[in-house]
Amino acid sequence: MAIDYKRELENAAKSMILVHKPDTLIKMIVRMIVQKVEVRHAGIVLYLKDKNTYVLTVSRGPTGTKIPAGFARMDNDNPLIRIFAENKYRRILNSNALVYGETKNFLRRKKIRPDLKNILNGALRQMEMFETVTCIPSYFRNDLLGVLLLGVKKNGGKFNQKELDFFVALASDVAMAIRNAQLFRELELEIDKTHRLFINTTITLAAAIDAKDHYTRNHISRVTSLALAIADKLSQRNERVFEKKFIENLQIAGLLHDIGKIGIPEAILNKRGSLNDEERRIIKEHPNVGVGILKTIPELNESLLGVKYHHEKFDGTGYPDGLKGGQIPLIAAIISVADTFDAMITDRPYRKALPKAKVIDEIRRESGKQFNPEVASALIELYREKKI
Amino acid sequence: MSKLLIVDDEADVREFAANFFRKRKIDVITASSGEEAIEIIEKQKPDLLLLDIKMGGIDGVETLRRVKQKDRDLKVIMVTGRKPEEDAFEACRRLGALDYIHKPLELDELEQVVLKELS
Repeated sequence: MAIDYKRELENAAKSMILVHKPDTLIKMIVRMIVQKVEVRHAGIVLYLKDKNTYVLTVSRGPTGTKIPAGFARMDNDNPLIRIFAENKYRRILNSNALVYGETKNFLRRKKIRPDLKNILNGALRQMEMFETVTCIPSYFRNDLLGVLLLGVKKNGGKFNQKELDFFVALASDVAMAIRNAQLFRELELEIDKTHRLFINTTITLAAAIDAKDHYTRNHISRVTSLALAIADKLSQRNERVFEKKFIENLQIAGLLHDIGKIGIPEAILNKRGSLNDEERRIIKEHPNVGVGILKTIPELNESLLGVKYHHEKFDGTGYPDGLKGGQIPLIAAIISVADTFDAMITDRPYRKALPKAKVIDEIRRESGKQFNPEVASALIELYREKKI
Repeated sequence: MSKLLIVDDEADVREFAANFFRKRKIDVITASSGEEAIEIIEKQKPDLLLLDIKMGGIDGVETLRRVKQKDRDLKVIMVTGRKPEEDAFEACRRLGALDYIHKPLELDELEQVVLKELS
């Protein structure tokens, strides 16, 4: 039965848009070729960047003609790779497919440069070993991404020009799809890397603040973990569904909430006795000092709300702006509870650590006054479950 | 005619490699495990073993050890993954394996290494 190549190509192109995994895509294409074109077997060697070699990734056909995936490779100096990859040979080939019979005739008929003769003979030998009669390269721009290897047709015939054109078009679509999938993956990795770098920088910065304040050693990392645990509890209760972005911002806000303390003299931070009015005024500036430090980074806008408002109180008696209830961003309300809890259970210059049970009582009492009740009750539940 | 024994627990690999060498006028027998290989060697006396390191049951290294205990002179070529474990590699060298081929392999190389030992 004659195949409508144009339609098959369109179908293939449609599937390629839907499939983002290169492996799945290649398997699909090879399966399609073996089924529709009725070749004895077909396979694809693909360039693997990390191994710097072309590996036979997929191969289909009856047992014995099929080469197991991952078994065979072609290095960059393999003649079948060189003939497609190197410009001086590509120009001479003049067609995108290398056909065994034609190449053999070509070698017989014409006077050919020795280097070309060598490479063609080498390529033919490779084709014999892989039992392929037609090879079609896949390029993206000028890079050889892979080579499609086709076995003989089941009816023993030759591929006609229409079929070859079909394979060439298919191979170029495959190349595009593979390249897209690879770029997508690389982009994901790149974003991941940048993000990790950013978080690590933030952690370093946080450690610098921690080091300044003797009594709060590791306070920042504890507040951050506690804030994340509270957010987790809130979403478990289905009261809030957080986007991944919110959780990231909360983590950053946790790490940087006290960054404004950089501007406060250590004599005040580590003072043993009670603070005088002037000292208290200076301490209360730290949220705004923090904002001043971070506001030039637009990506930190939401985290900045946590830095600025983590000393606001639910009843409106906090600082710096005296926000009330729902006016206080949730990110700040969470940091506030986590910050207070951790401050109370550790030693401070002016008092010893309090027992956790006592601190929880205090948080419960202050729920709806100092603290957002929803957030306070999440913390209390974590305590009841012995998670903090 | 020279006799080659291919030992691999993957059926596709056995089939392909067997066909590959039969076309090159070599008498090929196959075994799907180390245990089976040891039995076959006693009866059929192959000239060369192509032995995969990573197999279920007794692995290639252990198979090599047992085979060499019975016949020190039997030629064995190991087939390994791209990054074989150093220990296994070292063990094979000590036990007297002739050569190694890394998967994925160049078919050229596979042909040459085997034909060289059988000629």
